[in-house]
Amino acid sequence: MSGFLESLRCSECVDWGEKRNTIASIAAGVLFFTGWWIIIDAAVKYPEVEEFNHSYHACGVIATIAFLMINAVSNGQVRGDSYSEGCLGQTGARIWLFIGFMMAFGSLIASMWILFGGYVVKEKAVVYPGIAVFFQNAFIFFGGLVFKFGRTEDLWQ
Amino acid sequence: MAGIKALISLSFGGAVGLMFLMLGCALPQYNQYWPLFVLFFYILSPIPYCIARRLVDDTDATSNACKELAIFLTTGIVVSAFGLPIVFARAELIYWGACALVLTGNTVIFATILGFFLVFGSNDDFSWQQW
Repeated sequence: MSGFLESLRCSECVDWGEKRNTIASIAAGVLFFTGWWIIIDAAVKYPEVEEFNHSYHACGVIATIAFLMINAVSNGQVRGDSYSEGCLGQTGARIWLFIGFMMAFGSLIASMWILFGGYVVKEKAVVYPGIAVFFQNAFIFFGGLVFKFGRTEDLWQ
Repeated sequence: MAGIKALISLSFGGAVGLMFLMLGCALPQYNQYWPLFVLFFYILSPIPYCIARRLVDDTDATSNACKELAIFLTTGIVVSAFGLPIVFARAELIYWGACALVLTGNTVIFATILGFFLVFGSNDDFSWQQW
């Protein structure tokens, strides 16, 4: 019985090194679109403005724009070892990425603010829309991080 | 000959999946045809990967940004196909039983599409490249 699990080899049957980018892309896609479907669900269940203020959707939109901005520049461009200079070069890529991450963190913080300031502190009867906004932004944020840092650019060469 | 066998078994899988979808719609106690909207997701799901494969010349690189974006979008379409019936069920347009049947059909259909790409995506004698 001892050494029973030693014969179990999992990491050798599949080459995870080559599949890494694919798996990261799938994980990011699941996170991002699950986030959007959570907010669609909340919007369908609570269409009234008193229960779910429509302006709270702006938070998820900013998070999505931040997702696109973060993933539009590659890590190589920020480090400056890409082949082409682009329109503004390395500095432009850094500023673009900085603004993108600022919007991403800002939308995450704003969603927490909506949850607590708009629902928990006011002691509303229905808290679910606030939780949905928070989870939407958390899922989009972590989806963006997985899509940006889960992939490696060594496989592109 | 192996291609023909795979093709027949895959078409059987597609038929089984569509049967689950129609069961979720057409059983007398459910009788709501809203879940048929997932058919759009079935049709859309292979498109990003086909476009990416056409766009990128397959050199020695194991992966590239365009294909990864296509995989991301495909995942999004698949997640949407699962999310739509759940939202329908939560909005009380359809029953939860119908939702479960549609989700089963989704699983079978997407497994079939994945199988199609795995079987016919790689070998040269009978593949998408000729189209």
